[in-house]
Amino acid sequence: MSESVVQSGRPARSGSDWRLQAGQWATPVLIAVLVCLPFAVTGSWTYTLGVCFANSIGVLAVSVLVRYGGEVSIGHSFFAAVGAYSVAILEHRLGVSLLVGLPVALALGVVSGICFAWPSRRLSGIYLAVSTMALALALPEIINNADEWTGGFEGLYVSRPVVSGVGMSLQRYYAALVVLVAVTYALARLRHSRQGLKLLLARSHPAAADAFGTRRVWARVSVMGISAGIAALSGATLAFASSTVSPSGFTLWSAIFLLVGSVVSFYGLTLPRALIGGAFLTLVPQLLSASGAWIPVLYGLALLAVILCGHYLPKIGGMMHRRARGVS
Amino acid sequence: MTVIVETVGSVLRDLFPLIWSGVITGCLYALGALGLVMIFKSSRVVNFSHGNVAGFAAFLVYGFSSGLLLELSWGAAVLLAVIAAIAIAFVSYALIAPLVFESDLTATIATLGVGLVVQGATLLMFGADIVSLDLPVPRFSASILGLLITGYDLTVLFVAVVTIGILFFVIDYTKLGVAFRAISDNAFAAEVCGLNLRSVHLFAWCVAAILGVVGALLIVPTTFLSSTTVATFMLQAFAAAVLGGFASLPGSLVGGILIGIFMNLFTFYVSPEFSSTFLLGVILLALNIFPNGALAKVGGSRV
Amino acid sequence: MNADAATLQGRGISLSFGGIKVLKGLDVEFRPGEITGLIGPNGAGKTSLFNCLTGAYRPQGGTITYAGEPLGGLSPAARAGKGIVRSFQTVALCPDLSVLENVMIGLSRKFHAGWLDAFLPLPRGRRERNAMREAALAALADLGLADAAALMPGQLPPGMQRLVEIVRAIVGRPSVLLLDEPAAGLNNAETRDLTRALRNLATPDLVMVVVEHDMDLVMSICDRIYVLNFGEFVACGTPAAVRNDPEVVRIYLGSDDD
Repeated sequence: MSESVVQSGRPARSGSDWRLQAGQWATPVLIAVLVCLPFAVTGSWTYTLGVCFANSIGVLAVSVLVRYGGEVSIGHSFFAAVGAYSVAILEHRLGVSLLVGLPVALALGVVSGICFAWPSRRLSGIYLAVSTMALALALPEIINNADEWTGGFEGLYVSRPVVSGVGMSLQRYYAALVVLVAVTYALARLRHSRQGLKLLLARSHPAAADAFGTRRVWARVSVMGISAGIAALSGATLAFASSTVSPSGFTLWSAIFLLVGSVVSFYGLTLPRALIGGAFLTLVPQLLSASGAWIPVLYGLALLAVILCGHYLPKIGGMMHRRARGVS
Repeated sequence: MTVIVETVGSVLRDLFPLIWSGVITGCLYALGALGLVMIFKSSRVVNFSHGNVAGFAAFLVYGFSSGLLLELSWGAAVLLAVIAAIAIAFVSYALIAPLVFESDLTATIATLGVGLVVQGATLLMFGADIVSLDLPVPRFSASILGLLITGYDLTVLFVAVVTIGILFFVIDYTKLGVAFRAISDNAFAAEVCGLNLRSVHLFAWCVAAILGVVGALLIVPTTFLSSTTVATFMLQAFAAAVLGGFASLPGSLVGGILIGIFMNLFTFYVSPEFSSTFLLGVILLALNIFPNGALAKVGGSRV
Repeated sequence: MNADAATLQGRGISLSFGGIKVLKGLDVEFRPGEITGLIGPNGAGKTSLFNCLTGAYRPQGGTITYAGEPLGGLSPAARAGKGIVRSFQTVALCPDLSVLENVMIGLSRKFHAGWLDAFLPLPRGRRERNAMREAALAALADLGLADAAALMPGQLPPGMQRLVEIVRAIVGRPSVLLLDEPAAGLNNAETRDLTRALRNLATPDLVMVVVEHDMDLVMSICDRIYVLNFGEFVACGTPAAVRNDPEVVRIYLGSDDD
């Protein structure tokens, strides 16, 4: 019996090898295309794509939490705001560019993620979702009341170039692209690292992970720290790519939209998947800019459609498979 | 000596009205929380569309009574809105039902999708502007022991007590209510005994929709009606549910009233500008200190 | 440290759930270099005793020491850090990881690459990853599972999944190995492989405890056997002694209460 399984496993493995090779080529080609793109499209598209990359990073942050933690957050706008405001405030107060702002944003994001995860370390599932919702709703209040630092309702501008002498619109595009590629690369490394393996086991079998030395609290806090750090990077990138930060960009709705993007990309952690989620969040509002109220409707429908497809497609596939086998 | 008496007197003068109005709004938070808890208890799903649906229904009452959509009497408008809310609950449960038995987290995400659609529908039909919706509450006020009691207060109290009374009666004495309790205690055993999970889930969703509409309509006079107010009001309902343990109906009633009082005291004595931050703190604290709700004995965890 | 010191000892372990006494003051000693069997009818308390040893349950009474050191306050993760490793009655492999990666988790205790190594292409992380991969592959090959390394657990039959779990438990060279029904669901050939592997595994320092229903397996590999019934030990000794113990024979064959 064991023999037959190994046998039947072989063709499948060579099939996945082939797919792996195609996948190995797809990402570099995609990156090359994205690098060349600003020379082929108009300036407004360069801007939109920069924002799209930033949103893709935000989508990755939510997907990491789902994939590695098995948790859902509807409060990631908070961590994105931490990153965005660190960049903006550092530029306003100290006059430093994104080069300094980005690492600070990452560090503050990780710290705030851990600080939030610690009191909720024993909460899972829906309890975490509820507390992140409260986090997202509390955020605009905090930003508006710290107006001395955050600029209140009006927000702050981010305009300091990273490299002097290069056009700002190109800088916005390439900075966002570099951060996005770096995040997907780091996540690909994480998947094969010791920590990544432990986190994945802790998600599916907490007791087994415990028996191999992985504490649940460690797993929960680490995943939240990683996810919040990525969210902060997305906020920092968004601030730079869109040249402005304001509380209206970090509401409960923007947090829910990030989750929608994550669901639409099937919680994928690769560059193409993240781009699908980010493009969905950036391009849909652009296309529907004439009638903004359709945006939530469309997002809601897309969310439901993807979730229901995820539920029914494997069943339909299984049925077809069975039928095909029955015929043969 | 007289100074002390005066300070105590002034504190009491402030405190009693604050607590009184806190209890009144707390009843409304409890109505919202009861709906969330009923759905959670029976199907392990947190319904994030609850606030959006309730807000949409409040808008429908406005639309049906103001002549925007129809020009009906107030009672007919409310009836139609309740029917619409139940219909939405029906449709959303029908969408989510296949997911419920697979993953409560996926089903919970799906409720966000429903919430987004309903929110968009509200914006499409009624716009993003603030509208004024008057309730036909008796307009009088009386001062009892220095406490100003208005017709609105008494209406809210009356409606809340009657609604919650009917709810508890239904759950305690009707067949469906008994099935609801059985399924909340042990879904598997109840199903083995031949109870139909789906009809009980639907019962919970429909009752929650009605409670939400009642709560939303009654909260409107204290604030105003816009596409976001009722959804924000639901944060209080969530906090109330969490404080009550999220799985206990009497708990969420107590939680609602406590949240009403806390919120009033906080906005009066500390700051009106950080109310959501305060609720965040209450939620985190409650989840840590009373993992099973303020009424339950401490023990076990919610992992 | 001499071999005798590295024993896993329990003194007066008692555990009850809401008034039902599951373990009634057990004294137990698992010696290094020996394979100790733990047998008894269903519900006798075998898995509960396991859970007390690994820290999943906190016994109400008694002390548990390893190499003279009390384990009482330590979490399961901390005990795992001391090399006390267990397998589970139900398969607990991560379905998203390949067989090889699942086994590599068993080694993670021995490696120290930090978060920077996890995210960045640093030489130390790569070196450790390669070392883990090789060690895991070698351990899989020992049980004849080398061909399954790249597969996902879901692609294997239940018996092989269980073997993978055992490889994961033994790959990190634990000092105490607790196996909870390792042969459940295995076919004869797989059980033979397992028996051979467990025998090869025994080293002078390793404390090995096996809970098992398969009497042939227990009798053939164990040096000593504890027989548990209703939370109490009814017999303890070599396989031959236990086999001939009238009380044990009564429990297993002469069922008065059935």
